[in-house]
Amino acid sequence: MTELKIDQVARTFPARQGHAPTRALEPIDLNVRNNDFVTILGPSGCGKSTLLRIVAGLDRPTSGRVILDGQEVTGPGADRGMVFQSYTLFPWLSVRENIAFGLRERGVSEADRGKIADGFIDRVGLSGFENHWPKQLSGGMQQRTAIARALANDPKILLLDEPFGALDNQTRVLMQEMLLGIWERDQKTVLFVTHDIEEAIFLGSRVIVMSARPGRIKAEIAVDLPHPRSYKIKTTPEFVSLKERLVEEIRAEALKVAVHA
Amino acid sequence: MIRPLDPVTSRQRAAYGLAFFVLFVAVWAWATFGGYVSKTFLANPLTMLQEGWELLTTHGFLFDIGMTIWRVVGGFVLATIIAVPLGVLMGAYKPIEAFMEPFVSFARYLPASAFIPLLILWAGIGELQKLLVIFIGSVFQIILMVTVTVGNTRRDLVEAAYTLGAGDRGIINRVLLPSSAPEVAEILRLVLGWAWTYVIVAELIGSSSGIGHMITDSQALLNTGQIIFGIIVIGLIGLISDFLFKAFNAWLFPWKLA
Ligand SMILES: Nc1ncnc2c1ncn2[C@@H]1O[C@H](COP(=O)(O)OP(=O)(O)OP(=O)(O)O)[C@@H](O)[C@H]1O
Ligand SMILES: [Mg+2]
Repeated sequence: MTELKIDQVARTFPARQGHAPTRALEPIDLNVRNNDFVTILGPSGCGKSTLLRIVAGLDRPTSGRVILDGQEVTGPGADRGMVFQSYTLFPWLSVRENIAFGLRERGVSEADRGKIADGFIDRVGLSGFENHWPKQLSGGMQQRTAIARALANDPKILLLDEPFGALDNQTRVLMQEMLLGIWERDQKTVLFVTHDIEEAIFLGSRVIVMSARPGRIKAEIAVDLPHPRSYKIKTTPEFVSLKERLVEEIRAEALKVAVHA
Repeated sequence: MIRPLDPVTSRQRAAYGLAFFVLFVAVWAWATFGGYVSKTFLANPLTMLQEGWELLTTHGFLFDIGMTIWRVVGGFVLATIIAVPLGVLMGAYKPIEAFMEPFVSFARYLPASAFIPLLILWAGIGELQKLLVIFIGSVFQIILMVTVTVGNTRRDLVEAAYTLGAGDRGIINRVLLPSSAPEVAEILRLVLGWAWTYVIVAELIGSSSGIGHMITDSQALLNTGQIIFGIIVIGLIGLISDFLFKAFNAWLFPWKLA
């Protein structure tokens, strides 16, 4: 059973050369239960990546702490898999080797690595590309590989930072369905950051809305749509009304950013 | 029409490259055969070839070439073996970099040729002295450039590796090294080119063999044909080693080209 507790986590980036310090995150409290799919929605620059990096252990909070299964997070580790906003496949490794990276680090035998990697290659629909270099893949394929790479490690929690942000709309929808399909089948605790309202509702069991900088949790909205979900759900009245609510919440925040800018 | 950054085919590239050599020889032939330059100062291409042939057949010039190549390669390999691991350590661990970098930067500006008199004093005029000149000329350059390359490894890749459970060894062996390897190979190719200039200087002073020694001998006899032949041989060997290095790098790092 996985339980993630974000306890009064705040982050201020120190001042630099006459600029005031950046308050990226106000103290944030959030609990994520086992197999929960939580989406975090917020305008650009509100500290979504910062929050996720703190959970991953890549950044330290100025105050507060992150607790995973009773243990305080003090650094990065294989129990928290991360998919980044930018493309971060290792360019010198093939798709299969990229996916097996964490397994090899853990000392899994070569035969087992191959088997596990091939299973995930199949699941993210990259059969036929296992020996390609990242450079030879489209953006969508690269992010699918990155998801497979994180999943192959069997982390307790999967952290995704706008993984589909740079993709075109059609590809993004396909990727959302793929990710949701994997979650529905395998169950996994997921923290998913996005600034796309439809994406947040479609994927999440709960949507956390963050305010403009400094980031705070502004609202939390449960998404009680049935599973398995397909893209058709996006036109149901329940979906549309959720969307309207979130548009209002987000719009207020986006306006704040625009006024300050 | 030529437009900025438009590529050329490999056939065109070869033809253009060759054309310049042809042009160069043509101008040289025109200046010498036409009598615009005195024979004492510059031999014509034909004389140069004749002298070169004589060097190879009767003066054992092949042995000199072999000696020079061995000195360059020996000194260069020695420098590489020491400089690359040091550079990787300095790039990966900032305290080590802080400790070593200022001194290495200082040492880099000491001209290798200025060490020759000292090295002769220390190591005599044997092979060790020649190797040391190449070594001193290359080692600090390689250390510094490798340090910078390793230090510039994409942080997001390092972070990705951390979230996949990599430890310090994993980060160095499986991220820093492979991501820097192609650039390190390029650095070595560049420094090997410089090593060629050091070796000739080392051979000009206190040497009994090598291309540089042959050039000093020919200078005493005012044989410009031989001097030019020697210089051209150096250029050709450099061109060939560069080509081999490039081909080897391309073969070693296919992901870079894909
Ligand atoms: N290393 C850093 N040093 C200083 N300031 C930083 C640093 N990283 C982030 N910030 C600041 O913190 C704030 C939040 O950044 P963050 O990247 O978390 O936003 P985000 O919500 O992920 O935005 P986006 O949706 O555009 O990715 C921004 O104002 C940013 O300028
Ligand atoms: Mg971000």
